[in-house]
Amino acid sequence: MLTNVRALLRRRELIYHLVVRELKARYKNSLLGVLWSLLNPLGMMVVFTIVFTIQGSGSQIARFPVYLLIGIVTWNFHNSAVMSGAGSFVLSGSLVKKVYFPREILPISTVLSNLVNFLLALIVFFPIMALFHGKLSPWLWTLPAVILTQTCFILGLAFIFSTLNVFYRDVVMVLDVGMLAWFFLSPIFYSVDSLPSVYNLFGVSLDVHRLMYILNPVASFMSMYRDILYYGGSFGLDFFLRTAFISLATLVFGYWLLTRASGSFGEQL
Amino acid sequence: MIVRVEDRVPGRPLLELRHVSKRFVLHKDYQQGVQETFVRLFDPRRRQSRGQDFWSLQDISLRVEPGECLGIIGPNGSGKSTLLKIITGILEPTSGDLATNGRISPLLELGAGFHGDLTGRENIYLNGCILGLNRKEMARRAESIIDFAELGEFIDIPVKHYSSGMYVRLGFAVAIHTDPDLLLVDEVLAVGDATFQHKCMDSIQKFRAQGGTLILVSHDLGTIQSICHQAMWLDHGCVRDFGSPTDVVMSYLNEVARGEQENAGAQPLPTIEGANRWGTGKVQITGVEICDGASRPCSTFVDGGTMEIHVKYRANERIEDPIFGLGFHHQNGTHICGPNTKFARLYIPFVSGEGKVVYRIPSLPLLEGTYLISAAVVNRDDTEMFDYHDRAYKFRVYPGVSSERFGLVTMRGEWAFEPGADAQFAQQPGKSRAAGAAVAADRQISKSRRPY
Repeated sequence: MLTNVRALLRRRELIYHLVVRELKARYKNSLLGVLWSLLNPLGMMVVFTIVFTIQGSGSQIARFPVYLLIGIVTWNFHNSAVMSGAGSFVLSGSLVKKVYFPREILPISTVLSNLVNFLLALIVFFPIMALFHGKLSPWLWTLPAVILTQTCFILGLAFIFSTLNVFYRDVVMVLDVGMLAWFFLSPIFYSVDSLPSVYNLFGVSLDVHRLMYILNPVASFMSMYRDILYYGGSFGLDFFLRTAFISLATLVFGYWLLTRASGSFGEQL
Repeated sequence: MIVRVEDRVPGRPLLELRHVSKRFVLHKDYQQGVQETFVRLFDPRRRQSRGQDFWSLQDISLRVEPGECLGIIGPNGSGKSTLLKIITGILEPTSGDLATNGRISPLLELGAGFHGDLTGRENIYLNGCILGLNRKEMARRAESIIDFAELGEFIDIPVKHYSSGMYVRLGFAVAIHTDPDLLLVDEVLAVGDATFQHKCMDSIQKFRAQGGTLILVSHDLGTIQSICHQAMWLDHGCVRDFGSPTDVVMSYLNEVARGEQENAGAQPLPTIEGANRWGTGKVQITGVEICDGASRPCSTFVDGGTMEIHVKYRANERIEDPIFGLGFHHQNGTHICGPNTKFARLYIPFVSGEGKVVYRIPSLPLLEGTYLISAAVVNRDDTEMFDYHDRAYKFRVYPGVSSERFGLVTMRGEWAFEPGADAQFAQQPGKSRAAGAAVAADRQISKSRRPY
């Protein structure tokens, strides 16, 4: 595995080129180009604010648009990076069949190009926050650690799903539905505090509030982003370490799975 | 075990394969869905239903040293492309060891990895990067790549607007300019117009002359013979023959010819009866055999090789002083020559019963092509045709000893160079630097021309 990592590091320039290629291709033939990275979450924020304010749940959360925007931006990064990462080998099948390079480069560059988008979208966040009189947290410098952890988690998932997708194209179909469920299971437009701490399901009492954090790393990421950007405080170190551990484990497992299977990609695609 | 070293370690072979085999599992329905896998979980015969094994390569061992050039020949489906894909790493061998040493650049599919939305120039960098070069190294080469690809101002528009020729030219230009330690060429030269094909061939020759290492897969046996040091003949995934290109090509051609003859043997020979045969039949030609120097029947030759034509006859009555003759035609109808026993002053007093006349060519002067032979027997005065087989026997000639091309025959002429008085000084060795350079250049040319 270490030799694989070394071979991968030698090709970092290829990753750079592929990321640039993906970003360029994404905004070719669009008038506003890269601005869409900023406009898209803003538009979603407006739609969600209107819908949930009218529906009523929005008014329970202070500075609801800011709260929403953090959820949306985090989710968009997660969703689009995992989905496009999962399809990366099948999409670039012709390349995999014709030229050799460390295969993991494809999902990595897809995820990284989504990371660039995410960072651009974060830029929008600050003027919006100023608009709603939020205060900057003195812990802002810890933000990169959260971003890095989330990227690791997404990379791990992208490795796993892209590998499975080579053998079973059904994976993307399942993911489509799975990601929709995940969207509703993440506290994007609601607050985790509004979830009941005791809920009876078939006679078993569940602490939904706790389960959300244990089982859903995306919820953990959103919570940490909000701790810094929305509440203007800091996140708990133990909370961070546990999430980081899960993310790293996912990454290592995904990488192991991919390097084990990548030898037969050439004939499977 | 598979070992790949990208920075070449000197003193080691660039490529070593030991007992490499590759198995493909052929599924009836290629796509293996979750549903099928699920059903198979509960199927007691699941082990058997996994599809059919197909060995694309079996027990291939191979070593390529720096500066060598290996040619791979074989019919379609013999595993040539699979072998190249295993060498590049696109496929993994099922068993066996593989070690590569140095950067490998494949010319398998030109322009693979180009992105339609990026411009030609952007794609040069991207493709170079895929082949393992960094930005600085590519920047140094970019101008000569653009020159070579003859793209001019088109270089800055997206490649999706390119013609297929431009696309392929750019692909070749990038691949050849990456200065790989080992260059793999798979039949890619069959694309592009004639001018560009020559240019590709020239740059491959130049790569060779500069000491580059090359593996060439081609159906153009002449190219294999003129470029390669060694040749390998693959057949159904096995090595059938390995050695000097001329030997391997010859045994390959013999096999091809044997296969063709077996196919032809299933049908009656239409050429002997009917319109292609006439005569009174007093003497009949019962068979014409084209043989090699050892009197074995053969239908493929190299120029400069030995050929024998055995004409068997049966005379139903005693015929005095007959003349046997042959006609050599090119496939396109050109009559090349018509030797007969009278011209050769071979006096045959009479024929009766069965016998044989042999025409021997010690060194065949024909160049590459397909040729047809007519055979005839006439009376002394050429007034009565006993039997005539018009262009009924076929043989092929491949490039061999002579490096001549163009036309049908080699005249075996000799060239001499007699410079005028102005150039006399350059002839005296050691007198000037220019002379030394000229001699070195001359040596270089003769070296690169040598087949081995």
